[in-house]
Amino acid sequence: MAATTADGNKVDEAVGGEKSKMITLKSSDSEQFEMTREAAVMSQTIQHMIEDDCVDSGVPLPNVGSKILAMVIEYRNRHVDASSDSAGEKEDLKSFDESFVKVDQPTLFDIILAANYLDIKGLLDLSCQTVADMIKGKSVEEIRKTFNIKNDYTPDEEEEIPRENQWAFE
Amino acid sequence: MECDGMDALPDGVVQTILSQLSNARDVAACSGVSRCWRDCVPFLPALYFPRSAFDAAGGADDAIGRMVEAAARLEELVIYCPFSSARLPRWLAMRSASLRVLELRVDSAADKAAAAASGAGSAHLDCIGVVSTLQELRLWGLTMTRAPSWGQMQRLRVLEIVGAHLEDLAVSGAVHACPNLTDLALLGCECAGAVSFTLPLLERCRLDFVGSGSCALTLTAPQVESLEVQGFNWIVLQGGDRLKRLTIAKNTGSVYSVGIERLPVLEQLSLRGVQWSWGAVSYLLQCAAEVRHLVMKVEFCGDFDTLQPFPEVDLVEFFNTHPKLRRFEIHGAMFAALCQKNSLKNVGHIYIMLFSCNLLYYLPMLIVSLTLQLDSRFSISSLEEVLITVRSPLNAEQKLITLESLVCCSPRLLSMVIRISQMKNCHEASDEFFEEICKFAHVNKGRVRIE
Repeated sequence: MAATTADGNKVDEAVGGEKSKMITLKSSDSEQFEMTREAAVMSQTIQHMIEDDCVDSGVPLPNVGSKILAMVIEYRNRHVDASSDSAGEKEDLKSFDESFVKVDQPTLFDIILAANYLDIKGLLDLSCQTVADMIKGKSVEEIRKTFNIKNDYTPDEEEEIPRENQWAFE
Repeated sequence: MECDGMDALPDGVVQTILSQLSNARDVAACSGVSRCWRDCVPFLPALYFPRSAFDAAGGADDAIGRMVEAAARLEELVIYCPFSSARLPRWLAMRSASLRVLELRVDSAADKAAAAASGAGSAHLDCIGVVSTLQELRLWGLTMTRAPSWGQMQRLRVLEIVGAHLEDLAVSGAVHACPNLTDLALLGCECAGAVSFTLPLLERCRLDFVGSGSCALTLTAPQVESLEVQGFNWIVLQGGDRLKRLTIAKNTGSVYSVGIERLPVLEQLSLRGVQWSWGAVSYLLQCAAEVRHLVMKVEFCGDFDTLQPFPEVDLVEFFNTHPKLRRFEIHGAMFAALCQKNSLKNVGHIYIMLFSCNLLYYLPMLIVSLTLQLDSRFSISSLEEVLITVRSPLNAEQKLITLESLVCCSPRLLSMVIRISQMKNCHEASDEFFEEICKFAHVNKGRVRIE
């Protein structure tokens, strides 16, 4: 899976030689975080950066703040370690995930955005599911209120909707 | 990064979030929240209409139609609420290119009346055939009097029908239209007659046929790994080469015959019912030489309508022919049949038990010396767990000997649970037997317990 570039040999050496190499990630507020290559490549974005060989001086992540980056790294380290199939491990991981997303809304959305940018499927699914669970069972008004969503329907359109979906509001 | 909440999320992310929702009520609410959310609806993969979705308001059919139409990429559609089957063809035709999973509750009263009037019990199911991409189909509360015209549902892998009235030819025909099934379940289905299924890819099969008529099953399934059937008097299985788990039960009536060539890799076998032909039982036990987990819960045997007790089964022979047996569950009458008729030598035990039917008194049972001289090489080497149900004090000493042998000859035994049921205390023999069992359990505390 080594990237082929003009200096093919050089890239091979870099990628194949040191599997346990540490990668440095730089958050938007210039804090630095170290993590193993193995954990880092859970992010498709970072994996592509590594393949394109632009990680020598650390990976810049201008879209992710240090607080969120620290959480994302914690998530990845936990999931990289958990490779066994034992039921106990799965339970532990499940409770880790459950408490991981017990955060306030702004943080949750930041996690979603970070997971989206870094392309970490597991974390994206987990955080999106959490938001979806918050939507379940709520009426239109309640949803808008919970998430502070602007209602961009015109008054005419607004009238149409309740009539169509009357059954959902009974 | 500063986030202004949900509004600042890119559309793709909102779509991912909303795709986790499938309950129709939630989806309808979301469409009303904002334009952006409404525009995500076409991408939702699943719609689920629960039983009570339209209880208060009416208009189920219109709402379902609208929502199915809006969900252009719908993959899963589950409708539990009542709907008019006349509308179904249109809904399915709209989504016939993307639908993979379909689950319908088809027992609404209106449909039944219409079906009864027109005599066509399954016409409304014909339209399912138009969904060529369908992989999973589940139908509840169905009446099938003739096989639906599905053509060939090549992609269908899972078929489940629950709580249905089926004609035998109709269901055979329906299954015939789905040649590539890997999972088949017909549960709580009223059906009588003869059903025949040939499914070269079938791996898991559960058939639970209820009703009073007699029923025969012929199943040709060379890849089947797990088979559970209830309600058949005659069973023929062609293809037991991969079968690992087999359960045959008959809650009322009798099992007359079971035809299976061989069961070389069978790990779990469970036989249950009121009455089985002894020939069928012993044949299955013979085939299942490699079995590790065995459950036997049959009340009587007998090939005709007269119920008969079981013939005696020699304990040593039984365990020698099933050397891999690890978990063993045996109940009532079949437990009583286990004995050591062929293998016990020089048993010396003295007991005095006088029992008079008229007077209901007896002298206590004295087992002065109980020497079992089984072949000393005999060992039940794999047995780890035993569950025994004891129901009557008849042949008490034989049963106790069997319990003793099981414990003595099983070096790996971890637990033996003895369930005592239906021995009401109006009979002193029962009490005495119960006491003996308690003593036995006490002596072997740690491995034996009573429930």
